[in-house]
Amino acid sequence: MLSPRIPGAYAPGSTLLHRLDPRAKLVMLLVATVATFAVSPPWGLLVMAAGLAAALVASKTSPATVLMCLRPAALILALSVASNAIVLVGQPGFSPEGLVRGVLVVCRIALVVGFALSFSSTTPPPAIADGLAALLAPLRRVGVPVGAVAMSASVALRFIPLTAEEVDRIRCAQRARGARLDEGGPLRRLRGWGQVLVPLVVGLFRRADELASAMVDRCYAGEQTALLGPLAPRDLVAIIVAVAWTVVAVLL
Amino acid sequence: MIEVRDASFSYDGAASALDHVSLCVAPGERVVLLGTNGSGKSTLSRLLNGSLAPTSGSVRVDGRADGLARLVGYVRQDPRNQIVSSVVLDEVAFGPRNIGLSREEVFAHADEALSACGIMELRDRATSELSGGQQQLVALAGVLAMRPRYLVLDEVGAHLDAAARGRVSEIVERLVASGVGVLEIAHDPLALFGAARAIVLDAGRVAWQGSPQELLTSDEARSLAGFGEDVVARFVGVAVQRGLALGARPDPRAVASYLAREDVCCGGQYLITPHFRPFLTSKVALVRGPHFCLKDISLDLGGLTLVLGPSGSGKTTLARLLAGVMEPDAGEIVLDGRPVRAGGVGLAFQRPGDQLFCETVYDDIAYGLRAQGASERRVEAAVCAAAARLGVEERLFGRSPFDLSGGQMRRVALAGVVACNPGAYVFDEPTAGLDGASRAELRRLICDLAESGAPVVLVTHDAGEWLEDATSVVFLRDGAVVQQAEARVASESPELFSAAGLEAPFMVRLRSELVRGEEHA
Repeated sequence: MLSPRIPGAYAPGSTLLHRLDPRAKLVMLLVATVATFAVSPPWGLLVMAAGLAAALVASKTSPATVLMCLRPAALILALSVASNAIVLVGQPGFSPEGLVRGVLVVCRIALVVGFALSFSSTTPPPAIADGLAALLAPLRRVGVPVGAVAMSASVALRFIPLTAEEVDRIRCAQRARGARLDEGGPLRRLRGWGQVLVPLVVGLFRRADELASAMVDRCYAGEQTALLGPLAPRDLVAIIVAVAWTVVAVLL
Repeated sequence: MIEVRDASFSYDGAASALDHVSLCVAPGERVVLLGTNGSGKSTLSRLLNGSLAPTSGSVRVDGRADGLARLVGYVRQDPRNQIVSSVVLDEVAFGPRNIGLSREEVFAHADEALSACGIMELRDRATSELSGGQQQLVALAGVLAMRPRYLVLDEVGAHLDAAARGRVSEIVERLVASGVGVLEIAHDPLALFGAARAIVLDAGRVAWQGSPQELLTSDEARSLAGFGEDVVARFVGVAVQRGLALGARPDPRAVASYLAREDVCCGGQYLITPHFRPFLTSKVALVRGPHFCLKDISLDLGGLTLVLGPSGSGKTTLARLLAGVMEPDAGEIVLDGRPVRAGGVGLAFQRPGDQLFCETVYDDIAYGLRAQGASERRVEAAVCAAAARLGVEERLFGRSPFDLSGGQMRRVALAGVVACNPGAYVFDEPTAGLDGASRAELRRLICDLAESGAPVVLVTHDAGEWLEDATSVVFLRDGAVVQQAEARVASESPELFSAAGLEAPFMVRLRSELVRGEEHA
């Protein structure tokens, strides 16, 4: 209940994207991601941007959330733009072509983050896992434990809010004992986080053990009944539209 | 029929966790299993569902010795350790998906279980957004979806408030009536109502068994079961001795008709006089967060104060504000005339593991003092004093706190809080999941702290066991104070609880019946 909402986390709703089958959405995400790096600027990139706008509208996601997701990587992105734009070797100076190149890469990354976001915020984690299991099913023939892979993905996603809650509680307990976690230089703050990590990791391991035996109690043995039915015509249409759109973008 | 014959089990081959235990549970009956922490209850329940195999002896369910997990469902104390999935429907479908059912059958099983637990409306919700009570119902539905013939309930009510506990026992009652056999591990004497038999484990052996009535009237059985200091067990026991027949559900009126008011109100009650200094004063005008909002919380807290409220009422937020680890958007918290800062008020959580982080027990207890910049000589004196007060032996000082048993860990964590000698204390759900003896130990410490003059605030869902010791009670609802009442008044007034959206504890309803009975006479 106290867990903060993480940008990109699943938000219940009934938009067009919420109603699509997770397998269809996964295929569309894959196609869009490949195309985003394959298209040439400016027109191809613009068509992809229009695609992202459509996806955001269809999932009622605000563009501000995309920016929020990019924030942790802002420093690295800014540095990469700067290092492309500023030439130090040979004839030092400012390179406009480099700047354009850097900005374009950042644009592509932003687009991919946007696509991933509109997928993850409209698909509940177990559905992502089910979709993944369905798409990876052919690998079963070469001995990949697809069911187990999908299950681990689902459990990992379930643990994200639990871990956030746990971190919050541990920090509270430590601050109450006089730990100053947000003060001092970066080194002291880093050490402070180390203190949080010890009980967090111990707690998570214990919880993982408990969870594993709870799964065995409920007869989990690796393979599960697939819950996804046949694809609806709506999902096929969505995939065809997405593929057509990206083909146009790549050809431009 | 679950039949355990002469079963023993040992985790390490040397010390036995279970020692020649025999018992049986028939379809359509509920058997209560009691005993202190570490008496072997959880080991026994894991033998019953086949996740452990007995080292000697046998466990048979309906004549079978294998594949027990499908026949015996196991519900754990903390639903957060049982819930696998982040969506309710998917969680409930998890079991059926593992046993080779078709897609349609899986959905049919899941829907049937959801409606049996009355939580159909939660079907598409995220499991992490539910309250503790709702999560426990989801966990129960997840087990029922496999249509087990027997259920093992491992203290399923420990983290729930009275209303949620009532809902769970209603569902269990219906299951028993439909022919499911239930073994319920409990720390709450109210579980004895409606039970067919009671079994007490002690140090891995069946130390006592008999009817619930016999258990409540036998001093020896009561103390073996960990009810030695439990007021509910004591008074219901007195009523049974005078002829009360235990009904299917806890009924305060029936119990009250066998008791007089003096029986209940003078049981060595410990009330702190309401004249203390200093006060922990809350002048919070507003705190707002993504999931909470508290408004106009003006309180003067002295002595031992209970903070009660339904889940989502803002109890935990208030506890953090009072402890100074969270700051209000408007207003302040004052202790003895000075604003509270983090570290000035001791804060202890339910799970001791959350607040231990140093390499050795000694360093952990000393942490707060060192952070205040105390000299090593003073640190050593304070650590030894706090350790002695909490019963932490000095031979443990060099050990890692994470190697200790649960009880030892709790004592170390509390010693770390007490060693700093803070001006006030805040406890957030300190007793959830503890057995009778550990509860009594913690209760003595908390009363001791309050008696020494420091304001102590206790956030809890288990008001019943604290009302006798408390000075005042704060009722929260939807982020506002509904009422601050004297504990003596609250302990006889169920209406204060219902005004806050809570179900009154059994003892409160019992006392109120007695008061009313006296007024009629």
